[in-house]
Formats: sequence, structure tokens, C-alpha cells
Amino acid sequence: MNLEQELRRALRRKDPPSGFHDKVLSRIAAGDTVRTRATIGIWPRVALPVAATLMLVFGGTYYIHRQQEQQARELQAQTEQAAREVVLALQIASEKISAAQTKVEEITRYDHTSPR
Amino acid sequence: MPTAVPSPQVPVSEDQLLADAQTGSEAAFAVIVREHQAMVFGLAFHFLRSQAEAEELAQDVFLALHQHLSSVQSARHLIFWLRRVTSNRCIDRVRSSQRRRELPMEDSHEPHVSPRFGDPLLDELLQSLVGELAPDARMVVTLRFQEDLDLSEIAAIVDMPLNTVKSHLRRSMDALRRKLADRGHVYES
Repeated sequence: MNLEQELRRALRRKDPPSGFHDKVLSRIAAGDTVRTRATIGIWPRVALPVAATLMLVFGGTYYIHRQQEQQARELQAQTEQAAREVVLALQIASEKISAAQTKVEEITRYDHTSPR
Repeated sequence: MPTAVPSPQVPVSEDQLLADAQTGSEAAFAVIVREHQAMVFGLAFHFLRSQAEAEELAQDVFLALHQHLSSVQSARHLIFWLRRVTSNRCIDRVRSSQRRRELPMEDSHEPHVSPRFGDPLLDELLQSLVGELAPDARMVVTLRFQEDLDLSEIAAIVDMPLNTVKSHLRRSMDALRRKLADRGHVYES
């Protein structure tokens, strides 16, 4: 026997358990209904893709916003650091100039008071 | 207005039976259920591999048929409708639950020995291997071998291009041959 014949035998029609027929008729008599593809409507099928798209859009917008904020903070920090370094450089230069001026004044005073 | 109950002694054409059911004869509808229950339940059982789930799904199919009886045009269309709705519901059920086939203990069944048929263990193995196929391929194989349909009929029922059905069937048969060979059952292509 070949595989096709074996499959025909293995997958032959199968009777449902006893009472099946009565259960169907009882459900019909009781007014039971089932939802079909047409009555299920479109929402259950589109809800997940719509939700995923909204999450991507809002998630992407939030991420870009956070990135921009981060870049602005970094730029501000760099500017403040540069300003601090300029002030420090000016302080150092000012101290050097003061020291040099003091030295010059001392030398000049010495020259005037020294005997010839 | 309900018509008379079809007598078992008097053969009633299937189209007449359908017409009677459409005019409200619950007895005619009962005959339709009895005639097609093995087809619907068999498709669901071979696909879902669970007797309880297959029974529930088959009941739902007949309830849906009762609700949509007026749209069925002929006895031939009735069979097509039942096969199509059963196939769709089986595939939807598996996809929606993403379930892998796991038989509950009370649902697993010993292969029953039937003197008219061959090896019940091989039948069980084949059913199990078919149950491992992907949903679309599984339904193609089940329709092909349970209902003995040609590929164009299967394509119409499962709403797939003919070439896709051919491809599913060829790949499924190759996979089944490979898995059977691993278990010592060798079949020629």
C-alpha cells in the first residue's frame, strides 16, 4: 500500500460521539447562535495592527523628543563648561599680570632708592 | 411552514431536503446534520486532534449552517459551504490560540482496533504526523485525503491559489515520507 492510500485510511471520515446530533438540535431549539466571520466585524482583525502602529508612532515620537532633549542638555553643559574655562583662564592671566606688575614696581623702587 | 418529516423509506433528493429545511422543517435539517456530521466532525478532528474541540467546532458549524441556510443554493453548495466553514473555523481556532497540539489526558484515545482496516498504530502515527503540519498545509492534506478532493476543489474551499495548494501538498508529502522513514516506514515517492 502506498502512502496516499495509507493517508486515505488514516484520515477517513469519523463519526462524532453519540448524542452529537441531539446536542446540535438542542442548541438550535434553545436559540443558541454562533458568531461567523461576517458578524465578528472588522475590529478584532484590525485592532492589533492599529494598536501596534499607534505604539510605534507614539514610541518613535517620544524617543525623538527624548533624544532632542538630551542633545540640548549636552550642548548647554558644553557651553557652561567652556564659559567656566574662559573665566578660569582670565583669572589666571589676571593673577600673572598682577604678579608681573608687582615685580616691576619693586624693581623700579629699588632703582630709585639705591645709592649711586 | 414546516414540511412533513422525510420518511426513511422514501428516498428524498438532497436538494429537496435542503429546500424543506429552508422552509423551516427541523426534521429535514436534522437529516442534513446526520448525513454530514461525519464529514464535518472528521475534518475538525483530524485537524485539531482533540475530540472535545472537534465536537464543539462541528456543533458550531451546524449552528452557523442553520443561521445561514437561506444563502445555500443547492445540495452541492451545501457540502462546499460545510467544508469551507469547517476549514476556516479550524484554521482560525489554531491561529487565534497559537496552540500546539497537546492532547489532554482525558482526550487522548487508544487507537481502536477495527477488523476492517489496517494497522491502527500506523493510522495513529499518520494522524499525529499530519497534526504536526502547519495549519494551512494540514487542512490541504486533510481535505485531500479525507474528502478525496482534487486540488482545484481544495483551492476553492481554503481560498488559496492552486499553485499554493500544490506546493503545500508536495511539501507535506515529502515531510511525511521523511518522518515516516525515520520511524522505519519507507514509502516511495
